[in-house]
Amino acid sequence: MAETTQDDVVFRPKPSLPPPPNTVGVVGWLRKNLFGGPFDSLLTIVGVSLIAYVAYSLYQYGIANAVWEADTYRECLDVTKGNGACWAGVSTWMNGYMYGRYPDVEQWRVNLAGVVLAVWLAPFWFPKIKAKILVGMSAVLTFPFLAAHLFLGGEAGLFLQVMVAVAMTLFATVWLNVGASYLGYPSLRVALLRLSGFENKGDHLHKYVLLGAFGVGFVIAFAYQSTWELAAVPTQNWGGLFLTLVISGIGISSALPSGIILALGRRSKMPVIRVFCTAFIELFRSVPLITILFMAVTMMPLFLPVEINPDKLVLVIVAVCIFAAAYMAEIVRGGLQAINKGQYEAAQAMGLNYWKMMTLIIMPQALKVMIPNIVGNFIGLLKDTTLVSIIGLYDILLMAKASGQDGKWLGMHTEPFLFTAAVFFVVCFCMSKYSQHLERTIGGGYGRR
Amino acid sequence: MSLETLDSGQEHIASAISDEVVIELSKVNKWYGEFHVLKDIDLTVYKGERIVICGPSGSGKSTLIRCINRLEEHQQGDILVNGVTMDTNLKNIDAIRRDVGMVFQSFNLFPHLTVLENCTLAPIWVRNTPKAEADRLAMQLLERVKIPEQAAKYPGQLSGGQQQRVAIARSLAMNPNIMLFDEPTSALDPEMISEVLDVMVGLAESGMTMLVVTHEMGFAKRVADRVIFMDQGEIVEQNTPGEFFNNPKSDRTKLFLSQILAH
Ligand SMILES: Nc1ncnc2c1ncn2[C@@H]1O[C@H](COP(=O)(O)OP(=O)(O)OP(=O)(O)O)[C@@H](O)[C@H]1O
Ligand SMILES: [Mg+2]
Repeated sequence: MAETTQDDVVFRPKPSLPPPPNTVGVVGWLRKNLFGGPFDSLLTIVGVSLIAYVAYSLYQYGIANAVWEADTYRECLDVTKGNGACWAGVSTWMNGYMYGRYPDVEQWRVNLAGVVLAVWLAPFWFPKIKAKILVGMSAVLTFPFLAAHLFLGGEAGLFLQVMVAVAMTLFATVWLNVGASYLGYPSLRVALLRLSGFENKGDHLHKYVLLGAFGVGFVIAFAYQSTWELAAVPTQNWGGLFLTLVISGIGISSALPSGIILALGRRSKMPVIRVFCTAFIELFRSVPLITILFMAVTMMPLFLPVEINPDKLVLVIVAVCIFAAAYMAEIVRGGLQAINKGQYEAAQAMGLNYWKMMTLIIMPQALKVMIPNIVGNFIGLLKDTTLVSIIGLYDILLMAKASGQDGKWLGMHTEPFLFTAAVFFVVCFCMSKYSQHLERTIGGGYGRR
Repeated sequence: MSLETLDSGQEHIASAISDEVVIELSKVNKWYGEFHVLKDIDLTVYKGERIVICGPSGSGKSTLIRCINRLEEHQQGDILVNGVTMDTNLKNIDAIRRDVGMVFQSFNLFPHLTVLENCTLAPIWVRNTPKAEADRLAMQLLERVKIPEQAAKYPGQLSGGQQQRVAIARSLAMNPNIMLFDEPTSALDPEMISEVLDVMVGLAESGMTMLVVTHEMGFAKRVADRVIFMDQGEIVEQNTPGEFFNNPKSDRTKLFLSQILAH
């Protein structure tokens, strides 16, 4: 069979030729995508002119004819005759758009919390850091307490103080771990054991060494935070983008965990849990957010005992969290349904119990499938939080409206909303881009790119 | 159809059957809704025994072996695996699953984990093996299935035959004493079938207790201590491969054999 005789036809592949010209390069691209035929060309010309017209008008309104310095809206109008933007008003009100009525001298606390969160989460993007989940979990679980204390100020209860100290200790742990990793230790744990000389002295002691180190950190943090004297800022004074981010941030970070739990509950074999979760999801998904907000603010207090006089913001946040969880639950359920039955069977056959199967095998795969939907949901939630303006919370949208009703800037309606739109666009666009990046990198199509 | 896949001239592998019973099914019945899939199944498997189960499609072969590790629940009768009774007690089920490995027709590797991680996951999370130890063991097993160089790849980057060998290594990593195979080569191209069967023959030589659902009759002749023929949820006939192929008793078996050997 391997012998070749003269009768055998020998297969010779044809040489590869370059593609015909006009199909590659800039010209090829233009031809294919913009001027593929008379109708395509017409569409291209109309489209480009439309874009040019809009861009030109925006430029005229927003830059060429705009006024950057003025004391009142009247002054602006005198210059622009209504043909240009009055950015002077926006910049005067900028502080309000960002912080609402949060006192100027206390605003550093808001900024500080923002910086702390950014620094806390930064190791997420460091290639050398392993336990990234722990970085995220520590921030999600304890940062809210630290932030609440910073934002609210005043006398903190013992519980809040303890949580603040825990948060600070975890923050320090995350960054000491970064330090240890870049100094060549496998992890902070090993570094601590090695430096304290316990590495080879019996594994059962390790736990105590590590706990001890954490304890020392906690005591220092606790002592430090008890020296803070922060003026109280009631939530009525919170506002602007800051308030929007607080509400949507809590909504977003609680949505995924609670959504996962609800979705698992809905698929549970136990009837009580299944019925409860299904009812919860269906109820809150079929009601508009604004209704839930009104219910929360006006009806909830009626059900609660009189002594508890809940903060309006707390009620709103609870409502947003419930709403977000119900939506997320359905996304998660969809993701779970995309996972092949064989994956469950393989996991069960090797003896993994339900929770290990879910966390190690099913969820990681489902989450990857769900990323676009999850981020889409987050973006929607961020925008939906502007509804809180209707029930009188001074979020960025209501601040924008308020600025046009202010004596000096009476009548300034377009500029604040353009500005708000730009802020939302930037935030949402970044989230969207980041989600696309995540889709590409997480598991990288499992090695197939 | 597949007598040629393994050279049928090769000798039957010596078996090392002990008289210790590892699996015992008595009067097992199972229904899917109204449909009676398993009818009064009695089966005793001894330690070290290699059993091949064959039969037409839909006869309940998969269902039978999936009852042994509780991927399917039976409604009547008793199943005893390694001396543990299969019931609704999760502890018992987990104990059984730890010691029973399973290989699927569609591999079911975890696509988000590398080959090595696929093999170390269960030892680490179920048996609490330290990671370094689990890695070492997994590498040994990957060498045994002859793909140590693929350890860092993802399943999606491997051929079907390679994936199935990883799946076998993954099951072996739990150090099971019983291995169940559900048509392990049915999803494979002909060239890849033999590389998987080779691994299974090696496993048989090492004395593993194996229950294999397969249509690879060459494999059955060479490896099986007993061939079981199922139809319509019943065990129609069971015998040594020699007797089974050369001297089938039941007319149903004869028909089946003539059909599959006709190809
Ligand atoms: N989950 C299920 N629900 C209802 N019927 C089922 C289910 N799984 C299998 N069956 C039915 O039970 C019968 C036996 O199925 P089983 O998978 O055990 O057959 P098999 O012998 O393995 O067949 P094959 O060779 O095609 O794999 C089939 O008729 C099948 O349609
Ligand atoms: Mg089957």
